[in-house]
Amino acid sequence: MDCAEQKRCQKLAKSSSFYRRIYSEVEEIGWEHLVRFGEDLRLLSFRIMDKKGRVHILRITLDGTYPNHPPSIAADVPYLFNLKWSINSRLKDVIQQFQKHLEKLQDFWNLMDDIDHSLLVSDLRYPQRALSHRQLNISNECNIILSIDANDPTSLPDCRFLGSDSGVERLRAMWRKNCKRWMRDKPFSENLAHVLDIQLHGPSSIEKSDPQTECGICYAQYLPIDDELGAKSGSGTDCTCENFSCSRAFHSVCLGDWLRSITTTRQSFDVLFGNCPYCSDPIAVKMNTRK
Amino acid sequence: MTSPSASSRKALSKIACNRLQKELMEWQVNPPAGFKHKVTDNLQRWIIEVNGAPGTLYANEMYQLQVDFPEHYPMEAPQVVFIPPAPLHPHIYSNGHICLDILYDSWSPAMTVSSVCISILSMLSSSTVKQRPVDNDRYVKNCKNGRSPKETRWWFHDDKV
Repeated sequence: MDCAEQKRCQKLAKSSSFYRRIYSEVEEIGWEHLVRFGEDLRLLSFRIMDKKGRVHILRITLDGTYPNHPPSIAADVPYLFNLKWSINSRLKDVIQQFQKHLEKLQDFWNLMDDIDHSLLVSDLRYPQRALSHRQLNISNECNIILSIDANDPTSLPDCRFLGSDSGVERLRAMWRKNCKRWMRDKPFSENLAHVLDIQLHGPSSIEKSDPQTECGICYAQYLPIDDELGAKSGSGTDCTCENFSCSRAFHSVCLGDWLRSITTTRQSFDVLFGNCPYCSDPIAVKMNTRK
Repeated sequence: MTSPSASSRKALSKIACNRLQKELMEWQVNPPAGFKHKVTDNLQRWIIEVNGAPGTLYANEMYQLQVDFPEHYPMEAPQVVFIPPAPLHPHIYSNGHICLDILYDSWSPAMTVSSVCISILSMLSSSTVKQRPVDNDRYVKNCKNGRSPKETRWWFHDDKV
């Protein structure tokens, strides 16, 4: 047998033992946690839920030296942990260490969620779990940016002031004068109102969840980016119930899928006639030509 | 158990996953009275504790619901069963299957886990007698081998109880 052939066989045997190993390691974690993987199994994404039901994705990249060298990891967290790795370590150890890390960050995220729910945060459309700062709208002319210490979330945050000189000057003076009165055991918004000596705005009700733009079926404003959805991939809601007291918005993809799945729907050419899932009034939707 | 294990079911689609995460968030902010979602990291199977409403036949009793979501939720209803022992009720079989139209033919994507839970509690609360359905033994025998209640051809008895 020539040398090249022998080399090829060796390489194949090596990669098949790699696949076997990864399969058994994923099995230990549970397949339901695996949300995505690369074809060569060198890129794995796991979904882990923390105590409060917040969902976190851990991306693990394995290079050719695995398991002799630790895998590299990435996640939407304010800071990562140092992976402890030995020759006997397996992927489930990575998950366990990640879970411990999430545990450590619970107080931080509880506080960030509390801020998002109780104060008027500007630009809350795509909050990332890694972000440790929030911009708050204080008045028409002033904003502040608060940076929270992820390791010590109840401590006095760093504060930067944005806006007109006069407004900012007053706030800054108050902050300097009162910042010693920040109490760790008091709710964040109460502390902030106290230190700045002002009335704070609650979250805007319009921004919260607008039934005009969110689809009444999938609950998202935009469809996921997905080849299967063809031209509709990533598009917003494009169809609304005509009953004025209902006015629910839908993606025509979602509404079409639903209407097609029930027997009472009628079809004429490429239009489906059925009833709005919310108010039962008649509703019609043009069928999507999928790839 | 009455349903296939978590690993052999088809995983949730992206759309289903996104919608369930939002339902779970909403549940945490505003849980239906009398229910408690047991925290697990499995989005596709929720275990929910149900407390019988005060002043009804089921007061001070606690049951568990198992809710399994299909790949294309909410286009299809979730599978909802009581984990035995199931409450004694004219529409609840001893294997935990529930005869309730919104879980099968009358499901609509406008419903949520929370609204389904409330319907089940109201079904319990309006009961005047603690007994099994008349065809319980026959039905449960037919359901051996872990058949899902969604495969049953349901005949909805009445809407009084």
